[in-house]
Parts: sequence; C-alpha cells; structure tokens
Amino acid sequence: MKAFEYVGASSADQAVKALSSGAVVMSGGTDLINRMKDYVTSPARVVNLSDAKDLAGISGDAASGVTILAGTRLADVLASDIIKKAFPALWQTTSEVGTPQIRNMASVGGNLMQHPRCWYYRSGFGLVPKSADGKHMLREGDNRYAAIFMTDGDALYAHPSSLAIPLIALGARATLVGPDGERTIALADLYKVPTSNEDSPFAAKAGEILKSISIPAAAGKNGSYEARHKQAHDWPLVLASVNLTMSGDTVSDATVVVYGVAPVPWRSKAAEEAIKGKAVTIESAKAAGAAAAQGAKPLSMNGYKVALLKTVVARALCVTVGNRYWEA
Amino acid sequence: MAANSWPEKTRIINTRYPRLDGLAKASGRAKYPSDEKPEGTLFGVVLYSPHAHVKIKSLDSSAAEKLPGVKAIEVIAGPGKTLRYHGDDIAIVVAETEEQARDGARAIKIDYEFLPHAATESQAMAENAPQIVNGGNVRKGRAQTTGKPDDALKAADAVVEGTYFAPVITHVCLEPHGLTARWDDKNHITAWASTQSVMATANELAESNELPVSNVTVLTEVMGGGFGSKFGADIWGTTAARISKKVGGRPVKIFLDRAQEHLAGGNRPSVLAKVKIAGTKDGKITSLVAETFGTGGVARGAQFPLPYVYSIANFKREHSDVFVNGGNARAMRAPGHPQGCLVMESALDDLAAKLGVDPLAMRRANLAPNDFRTPIYLNEMEIGAELIGWKANYKPRGSQTGVVRRGMGVALHQWGGGGANDKQVSCTIFPDGTIELKSATQDIGTAIRTVLAMIAAEVFGLKPTDIKSNIGNSTFPPGQSSGGSTTTPSMSPPCYNACLDARDELFKKIAPGLPGNPAASDLSLADGQLLVKGQPAMSFKEACRKIGMNPISVIGKSSQGLASNGVAGVQFVDLSVDTETGAVKLHKIVAVQDSGLIIDKLTWESQVFGGVIGGLNYGLFEERVVDPVSGRMLNPDMELYQLAGASDIPEIICHAYEPDDQKKRGVIGIGEPPTIGTAAAIGNAVANAIGVRVPHFPMTPMNILNALAKEGKA
Repeated sequence: MKAFEYVGASSADQAVKALSSGAVVMSGGTDLINRMKDYVTSPARVVNLSDAKDLAGISGDAASGVTILAGTRLADVLASDIIKKAFPALWQTTSEVGTPQIRNMASVGGNLMQHPRCWYYRSGFGLVPKSADGKHMLREGDNRYAAIFMTDGDALYAHPSSLAIPLIALGARATLVGPDGERTIALADLYKVPTSNEDSPFAAKAGEILKSISIPAAAGKNGSYEARHKQAHDWPLVLASVNLTMSGDTVSDATVVVYGVAPVPWRSKAAEEAIKGKAVTIESAKAAGAAAAQGAKPLSMNGYKVALLKTVVARALCVTVGNRYWEA
Repeated sequence: MAANSWPEKTRIINTRYPRLDGLAKASGRAKYPSDEKPEGTLFGVVLYSPHAHVKIKSLDSSAAEKLPGVKAIEVIAGPGKTLRYHGDDIAIVVAETEEQARDGARAIKIDYEFLPHAATESQAMAENAPQIVNGGNVRKGRAQTTGKPDDALKAADAVVEGTYFAPVITHVCLEPHGLTARWDDKNHITAWASTQSVMATANELAESNELPVSNVTVLTEVMGGGFGSKFGADIWGTTAARISKKVGGRPVKIFLDRAQEHLAGGNRPSVLAKVKIAGTKDGKITSLVAETFGTGGVARGAQFPLPYVYSIANFKREHSDVFVNGGNARAMRAPGHPQGCLVMESALDDLAAKLGVDPLAMRRANLAPNDFRTPIYLNEMEIGAELIGWKANYKPRGSQTGVVRRGMGVALHQWGGGGANDKQVSCTIFPDGTIELKSATQDIGTAIRTVLAMIAAEVFGLKPTDIKSNIGNSTFPPGQSSGGSTTTPSMSPPCYNACLDARDELFKKIAPGLPGNPAASDLSLADGQLLVKGQPAMSFKEACRKIGMNPISVIGKSSQGLASNGVAGVQFVDLSVDTETGAVKLHKIVAVQDSGLIIDKLTWESQVFGGVIGGLNYGLFEERVVDPVSGRMLNPDMELYQLAGASDIPEIICHAYEPDDQKKRGVIGIGEPPTIGTAAAIGNAVANAIGVRVPHFPMTPMNILNALAKEGKA
C-alpha cells in the first residue's frame, strides 16, 4: 500500500474535523485495508473511527424504534435481543456476514459503506470498467456475479452491502454528520449509481460520515432469506428481505428489497404489489417471487440469478410466517 | 543384512501415532521456511505482468533504484521480451523491507506493446483466434484406437453423448513458493526453502550460482504444502541467491504473494471431454469415443488417462493440448487422474442411468478381469456401500420430486505410489543412547519424519519420541523428492535396513563384554531394555555406553519386498441439492483406500482427510476465473477463489482397506489416491439427486441452475 497519514479520532466531531480532501474514514477496516493493500484505494489520510466512543452502541426498543450507531460491531448487533426478536430480517442477515472474526471487527456503518466486490473494480478497473478499445468489461466479460436489473446503464456490478437490504426493508433512515452539522435521509437514498469511474456510489457529501441508522418501531412481520454458494464465509448470491404490515392474516403493506441484482439495493415494487392483500402462502409467495423477476435483463452469464431472485423473495416471505417449506 | 519383509508382529508400526512435530505445528512454534529471517535479511518482491500478452518496449528502473532501501534490481524480462500471461515474471526488486521492495517494484516504468490474447480455452480454440505460440494454439495428439469403437456404438443397446468440463484450478499452498538464500562466505550458500525436494533445490542453486553442490545447504525443517508445485528453486529462488552474493552475502528472502501464487505457482489443467459411450443391457460398456481438450497454460501438460479404471474393448480417443495466455500447469496431486476420473465416472454413470442399470453393478461389470486391483475394488465397493448406507438410501436417478433432493454417488480411482530403490537413510547410535536418523528427504505433510522414527522405535524397542529423526537437509544421505506418493515407500525400506544393521552392530560390539559372554544372537531389545536370552539385562542407554567412544553409524539402502506399487480406491458421497437455489449440502463422504502396509495409521488418515477435502474443493468450489476481455485472472485471492470452510466439510469416513494380503505387499504411498475420486463422486451424486447431469464443474449454484434450466426443470 501507499504511505498515508493516520489520524485516530476519539469522537465523531474529531473525525469530521480531521477529514480533508483525499482522506477516508476507516471503521473495522475489513474492506478498506484490503483495498489499500491492492492499491484500489490509496488515500492520503486515514481517519480511524474505531475508538470513537460516541459512534458505537444500540439504543431504543421494538415499540419506539432502534438506533444503531455506525461504529457498532456486527457481533454486537447479533448480541442484541431486541434486534433478534423485533427485527429478525436484520439479525439473520447479520449472522450470515463473513466469519466470526470479521463480525467481531466489521461495523454496521462499514458494511453499509463498503465498496463493491466486483472483481473488475478489485482488479483496478473501476466501477465502470472499460477496456482500452472501449468495451464494457463487465458486459463483455465474466459477469456471473453482476446485476440483472438496470443493466441498460453503465454500472453493472451488484451492490455489496447485505445489511442495507433488511435495513431498507425495515424503513431505516441514515444520519450523516459533516462540517455543516447533521442531516437524516432514507437509507435507500445513501446510494446512487455512478456513471463513471470518478463518480462515487454514495450520496454522502464530501466531509460527511455516517453516524447512525434508525429503524422505526417494529410493526408486522419481517424476514430475510439468502442464497449463497458456500456455507462458510461467502457473499450472498442473491438475498431478499421483506417487511410486512399485516391485517389479520392478510398483508396490507409490504416492502421487498433484494441484494445481488442491481448496483443499488433493489426495491421490488412488483413483488410488493403481488403480495399485498393476500395471506402469505407458498403459492402467494412464489407468485410474488415471479413478479419480482419482471423486467430483469440478465447479462451473458447471470441468467441463473433470475431463478435465485424468485426463490429468495418467496422464501423471505415464507420465513415471516414460519413456513420453511424447503426444509421439509 | 537387508530385510525382505516387515515383522509379522509389530508394536509401533501400523498403529496410530501422533506426528512428532504436531504440537509445534498446531501451536505455531514450528518455524516454516517463510518464517525464517536470518540476521540482516533483505526482502525481495517479484514484479509480474499485469497483462495477458504484451511485448516490453522499454523498461526503466532508474527511479526505482533511487528509492530508499532498494538494494538491487534484477530484470528477468527486459525490452523486446514477450510476456505471455498475467503473472509472468518481469523483475525482482530487493530492499531492506518488504514495503520498500513493493514500492520499488511499482516504480519500475514499463511501456508495453499489447498483443492479442487468447486467455480462455474458448478464445484459444475459436476460429480466427490469435495464434499465441508458433505451431498453433491447439495441439492435436495422435488418436488412440482399440477394437472397433464405431461399429460397437451402432450395435449397443444404449448410447450416451455427453460433454464434461472442469476448469483450471490452482494449488493454493498455504505457504507460498519461495526461499531465503544466504551466501555464508564466498563459496557457500545456505537456503531455507519451502520445497518438496531439498536435493533438487540444492542442485538448482548450485548450478545457477556455479558452485559445487556440496557447498550448498538447503533446509526444509517443515513446509506448508506443495501438492506437486514445489520441486525446484524457481527463478525467484535462483535470483534471490544471485542477489545475496551481489549484496555481500546478506540473506535475501523471496516468497510469492497470494495473487502471484495463483498466477504463476502452478495449476491443474482444465478438461473438456466430448464423449460417446455405449453399452449393453447387462451393464457392459462396449464403446467409448472421446475427443478431449485441456490447457496447461502456454505449454503442454494437459494430458490425462482415459479410459480410466475400467476395461473397455472398443475405444477411440483424440486429445488436444490447448495453449492459452495463462500461468503454466505444474504437477498437482495425482496429475491427470482427477480429470480422467471425472470424465470416465460421469460418462459411466450417465450410461448406467440410461440403461437402467444399478451404478454399482455397472462398475462391477466393467472391471478388468485379470487385474490385481479388481478384487480390491470389489471388496472396497462393498465396504463403502455399507458405510454410506447405499442400500437404505440410494434412489435411481431422477426419481425424486421434492425441492431438496438427496443424492448418492460413487467413483473408483487408481494410483501407483511405489518408491524409488536408490534412497538412503543413516542411523547413528551414540554412546549416550541417542539414536539419530538422517536423510535428505522432506515432509510435505505425510509425516515422513514420524514414520521414520516409528520404524526406528520398532527396531530399537523404544518410543518414537526417543528417536532424533532428522530430515529436510540437502547434505544428508540422498533422500526422495516428495512427489507421486513415493516418499514413504522410498524412505521406509532404507530406514528399516539402517536400523537393523545398526542394531546388529551394537549387539556384535557389546555382546563379548556382557556377563556370561552371550552371543550377539542372544541379544534383543524391548521396552527400553537390552535383553539377554529374553531376560532384561540393562537399560538401552546403559547398553549403548558399552560401545566406547565411537558412535555406530550405518547407511541403510533399499531392498526387495518392503515396498510395493499400485493401489485402487473407492469413494462414496451422500449429499442434498436444493433445486431452487442450486445449493449443495454434503452429508457424508466415505473413502475406502488400500495402500499396502500402513506405518502410521493416524497420519495416513490425515492424508486421506486432506485428499478428500482437496477433492471436494475441486468438485464444489475451485475455479481459476479468467477474464476474456483483459485476459487477467479475476480471482487471484482466497475470497472469490472459493475454498471450503469448516462448515462446508461433512463427516468424512476414512476406511483403510488392509487385510493381511495387503499388509504383506509392504509400504505404498497414500498422498495422491484419496483426492482423485471425490469430485467425480460429487458430480454423480448431484446428477443422482436432480435427475440431470451438471456437465460443468464445480457444482456451483450457477452451474446447477443452468443445467436444470436447460432440461426445463428449473
């Protein structure tokens, strides 16, 4: 890695003050350090947030909502009974991230702000990788892990944060702090689609850091289902989280968010519409899964993700009513 | 006198004994060659090609030379040279620290002329493909034909046409390739190398540095895996030694990083087989016609055995090596056999399914009638079927309808595993009772150090921990390179003979001085005691004191009857496939394996575990993914290059097939055979579960869902 200046921040304020042009923040470091070693990211200054006491912790409860400070370790999310009981979609997804070692280091904010795993990006070709003769490398090359939605655009990678999926489904909001103070936005709005290699995949302004995530009061049912290759340490291939408002046994409102299918966390309105007004059964869940696949335009190698998308949406819905039909 | 058989009854040999350096390895105290950092060590980094196929127009290292800490730069490929794969060597930079060396390597300025690349098999085989080597990318071998395969195809009850593919995989040695070399004075080199052959590495260092080989000492106390890829010093090692001389003898340490380990440290060639297989209702294979391909990089080396294991009267086979812009193949645990096994066993299974013949019956029907392995296979299949629960759980292919379907698969394999007969072990008995063994072999992981100590302990009536078992030094008596499962069968016979001769010399020397003037033949050793006519007379240590000042030292050589060659082996797999996610869950793997007389049953089992785990990685996870656009490897890491973690590994039953007639064959190597059949058995179990052949290894969700979709079953 290239030499860099190091600042250890003991508070969010200190961190914001230490941020200058060319600086990046580091929380658990499980993504940033690898990018630095591979010369994918070569910051002039690294501001370490891991000792900032005001950036770690979980507060609130199921009835009033929960705030998770950005520096909270994934292991601490898993240790929270409130999250386990009220937000199983988040708890389950968190439990499937990385390894115990990674979950002990990695933070919620770091997971949400990690950079894409796209192997062209990690090889140094950027988020919109183009060859010297102008070919889009991900479109023409090995795109087995890439997006199947928004593929008419130039950003074809799959968004990397699995925690963003249940959090967006649960209606989470993100609070950012910067030189001009704090602002709170929908977590979904933290992400954008870059159009060039110079562009950022985040909507955070220069000098802003992610401070906290707030999840509104739990209402109804939520759940997640992840399809992956390995049982041990692996990334999801496709993952769905759902949050349902119930009226008796009938779904009156639904949010369905999917990982692995677009360069941003993918909200499937079609799946939401399909399940609304219905009880969650294997049949209605599969119909919602099929609806989720409407409009998918896979690339040359990732058509299999359409099948996975249908399955994970159906299974995430079934999970909310305790129907694990695939384990029968 | 050299022995021609192992003792009938043994106390230590053929028991489970923990490896002598096990605690040191498990606790981190063992010093691997890459841990060695002799005083004054400089660090070397290899600058390698970021491109698949380029010519170097110019190379300027002047800025790099001026960087702090940089001590030397050796250019391997200068202007005018062509680099033929991502990872091809360009230069080596040596500096005071590893970081400075990396900065130095990045500061070398190179102008490239881009040449068209053919980095994947399909690119290289395409019409109008750029010819990346003189003579063409596709080198067709001579067709082999036996019998009348085409006529037999026509006459058969069923014919299956199949295409089977498995990608290039890499060795992923946990300890990368490399060594630290030091010029001790102007005539001597010492090197700490991670190698499968201390002797070959010493020879290479001596030759490249123009020294007599007796002036070079290569040390490999322990090592972190080679799997066939670490037989020499490599250009990195010879350059490290040359630079050490240039900088006044300071040690120079060069070990590859993980990416380069994948790119340039060797790999197992891919296999693509287009097969027609035919048979009759009684389960007999009557014809096999195969066109096969594989790539070993910018070189040959992708050949593999086919037909495999089974006796087929009519066959025709044409094999082509495909040259691609990729790192070159090196021997990898049972070179060629896993590929041959998965093609043969997949095709056989597909034919059995089409004929409606039970897969076990099909295999029994096609074993060679007069082969010594046939009765072994038959017995091993019976044992394995019992252990996996075949009768209770096997269902014919395609008979299940659930979302998650259980599948069982089987595969047979074979290997040689015989030893060399020209290796030596020295055995020295010191007057203080110390027994030291020495040989210039090394422990690639099979526990040869422990095996030799167990043999000595057997002969001297001691415990293996009482023996100083010294290996991993090229100046010791000539020992075996660790490849082809040959180390234990090569080294056990000379060790046994050395110990017997040393013991007999001890008896001869001390008998005359003992009370009652016993004959040497009246003496024996047991439980740390010297026995005279069967009665304990004194401790072994006291007995050794009587030899006087000079130790007894003998060199043992090999002799007939102590080792043999040729093993069979059968593996069974029980798994489930989720047909909606393509996820495979392994439940159990059974490996039934013969290997003659097993010296250490515990470390034998460890080899079988390791072989099976390597095999399940081949079956489920591993793939060198190469980008057709840039020609670069896209996953040179241990994240997207997938390998099993603990929760991916099922219960594994290692069953040693060792009836008395096997033990009488003597020692046979075990490293290779247990890794051969696993992937094939996994592929067959997946096909059994889902009713569809997944033609493309590894068995990933992508490949499984694609196969289901193709058959309209997804």
